[in-house]
Amino acid sequence: MSITGTLSTALSGLTTAARAAEVVSSNIANAMTEGYGRRELQTVARASGSAGQGVRVTGVSRYSDPILLGDRRMAAAGSGARDTAASFLKRLEGVLGTPDSATSLGGRIAAFDTALIEAGSRPESEARLSRVAETARALAAHLASAGTDIQTARAQADDRIEAEVGQMNTALARIADLNGQIRTSFGTGRDASALVDQRQQLIDGISGIIPLREVPRSNGQIALFTTGGAVLLDGAPAELGFAPVGVIVAGMTQASGALSGLTINGRPVSTAAEGSLISGGSLAGHFAVRDDLAPQAQTRLDAVARDLIDRFADPGLDASRAAGAPGLFTDAGLTFLPANETGLAQRLQLNAAADPAMGGALWRLRDGLGAIAPGPAGDARLLKDLQTALTAPRNPASGGFMAGARSHATLAADMLSGVAQSRLTAEGEASFAAARLDTLHQMELEGGVDTDQEMQSLLLIEQAYAANAKVMATVNDMIQTLLGI
Amino acid sequence: MGLTSLGDMAQSFLLRRQTVAVKSDLQRLSLELTTGRVADTAAHVSGDLVPISGIDASLARLNGYRAVTAEAGLFANAMQTALGVIDDVSSDLSRGLLAASGSASQALVTAAGSEARTRLETAMQALNTRVGDRSLFAGVATNGPATVAAETMMLALDNAITGATTAADIELAVTNWFAAPTGFATLAYTGGAALARVGIAPGEEAALDITATDPAIRATLKGLAMAALLDRGALIASQTERQDLAQRAGLSLLESQTDRTYLAARLGSAQAQIDAAAVRNAAESTSLQIARADLTAADPFETASKLQETQLQLEKIYAITARITRLSLMDYLR
Repeated sequence: MSITGTLSTALSGLTTAARAAEVVSSNIANAMTEGYGRRELQTVARASGSAGQGVRVTGVSRYSDPILLGDRRMAAAGSGARDTAASFLKRLEGVLGTPDSATSLGGRIAAFDTALIEAGSRPESEARLSRVAETARALAAHLASAGTDIQTARAQADDRIEAEVGQMNTALARIADLNGQIRTSFGTGRDASALVDQRQQLIDGISGIIPLREVPRSNGQIALFTTGGAVLLDGAPAELGFAPVGVIVAGMTQASGALSGLTINGRPVSTAAEGSLISGGSLAGHFAVRDDLAPQAQTRLDAVARDLIDRFADPGLDASRAAGAPGLFTDAGLTFLPANETGLAQRLQLNAAADPAMGGALWRLRDGLGAIAPGPAGDARLLKDLQTALTAPRNPASGGFMAGARSHATLAADMLSGVAQSRLTAEGEASFAAARLDTLHQMELEGGVDTDQEMQSLLLIEQAYAANAKVMATVNDMIQTLLGI
Repeated sequence: MGLTSLGDMAQSFLLRRQTVAVKSDLQRLSLELTTGRVADTAAHVSGDLVPISGIDASLARLNGYRAVTAEAGLFANAMQTALGVIDDVSSDLSRGLLAASGSASQALVTAAGSEARTRLETAMQALNTRVGDRSLFAGVATNGPATVAAETMMLALDNAITGATTAADIELAVTNWFAAPTGFATLAYTGGAALARVGIAPGEEAALDITATDPAIRATLKGLAMAALLDRGALIASQTERQDLAQRAGLSLLESQTDRTYLAARLGSAQAQIDAAAVRNAAESTSLQIARADLTAADPFETASKLQETQLQLEKIYAITARITRLSLMDYLR
């Protein structure tokens, strides 16, 4: 033991205190940074021979809980997928209109029904007939706009897929780059915590898109797999491929080749909701909306439109109509053919012969669509038949509805109920997933920076620094005493 | 590790999450309280919107029938009034005709004939009554009159009785003219087929199918027209035949009295049916509205008390937030 040894020991204490203060300042500065892992200074007693010779900093450790992190990422992906489905169904329900909204599909049908009843009372009234034409047109337009909106939702899902694929590719490339930098830091013994923070933030950013599993590799590197088993990053990043189409119309499917699927490193990957390599995240959710939920909704909507056409296409309904001529509602002006059902809702129109806006005449609503000249003004038989046709129980011909005769209004309500039911289920699942995500996030944040704790550490550091400095001053005094002899 | 520290962000995240949840509850409850309806109808009825949609469709339909019954009631009342007018003039005239036929005075018969002409005009005017620009007795041809003018009909009758020399001949010719499809139905009636039955309530229809060709009306017009022929100089050669014609016309009007009463009764029962349907529709509409409210209404007391509770909860969260943010070691380290 020598005086200079003491000096050296005190110096190591001072240095360590300074480093510790640096770590505390970094922690406090990042108290609000998401994904920042709290740092702690690792120290050991410096040994020189058998006697202790001060303190040595072995490194800075970064606190994180990989299991919690993995769970939280999984929850984020689950929440992303369910939110996507729930928000599509919510939108669809809004477009169709629940009974409490003023312009619901049910309201349109009821208005048409009422107009027919009122016109039956005074068939000679132009106002009444014009109301029939208006409500019929509004009903057709409502179905058409719902159909258009469904296809718009598909196109938007397509855009979102493109955006998310781009986000994945960028993030994977940057994670691979950071992996390399971290390996270098490990090799040279530098502190790589900041790089690890950045890498974690990047992975968090994409964990909602596809559920990810992080596997540690040598030298602080990581590999990323989807929970389905696809390799996204192991050394080199994978390249996800997708080609957006921009505009989507009913009938375009992935199976027909009109819509793009997903590729990983050029190899096609299934995008089905279950059992796919990428299932479980918002990306799979967008694929589900584009390829599954929206086409289903379109099928149902087309079935409702077809039911409307079929009701008024009965040959016995209007004797003036030529055989095979379209009824009150047409498929873009033509007779509906069952083979053309896909996208029918968007093409649904009021027969031009009865639509003054398209060069027709209102009296054809009363006297028959094929009538050449107006008949007796008070003849309400056809109007009554039309009203009966609208409300008569009838089996839907398509759409996968439960068998059973029902009125057109009930069929539309059945369709809406189906959507509402799916929406409620999806929302229930989404709120469950969100609650799970929140809880895990909360637990993760609990392991974050606690400024109170950091301040306490700072107090200790301050004391240690002062004590070490006092030791040095005392040693100095001792040396001065020695020199003063 | 978890025991020695608690991340700052955890607290703020928890409080933020609670605040958002309570605030969204608050918003939903205030919406429900102000509208009186549940915010999410589909959730309230477990996704089955068919009953509500069915009620809405029925309500809209009943609304339509309200307009229909009001109009049908108006038309039926106007028709009843017109039939009343026709019956009044016919009864008055039949008394005058029978009195004239019994007297020896030629002038009385001539006066009765001239009265018959104006009464015929009144009756045919009543048949051409228009309500809301709708002709009542013209069947489906609601936009035109039911019959030609009285004078035009009489000219046609003049042709029909050409060559008749006795009152009996004239009665036969006039009766045939009114009965034959080529007579009254084509030459005097300008309307169309009878109106279709009107739906006045779901599944219920009322018949307002009386046209000017109804047998009771035709029989009445026949009597009036026979008497009116006196005014046009029929059988001018024989005083007794003219008296006979006046008597036959009077008796004919008297005979058709029962048919007119039956006709009025038939229309009266349609009126009653329409009124009953209107009342029933209104009652049904009210009960459906109550049923709909039961399905979608938010109980105001429950909502208000929940709102109060939520408000208190939010205030507590605010208080806690304020307290916790003050609790920092920083503040004591001076």
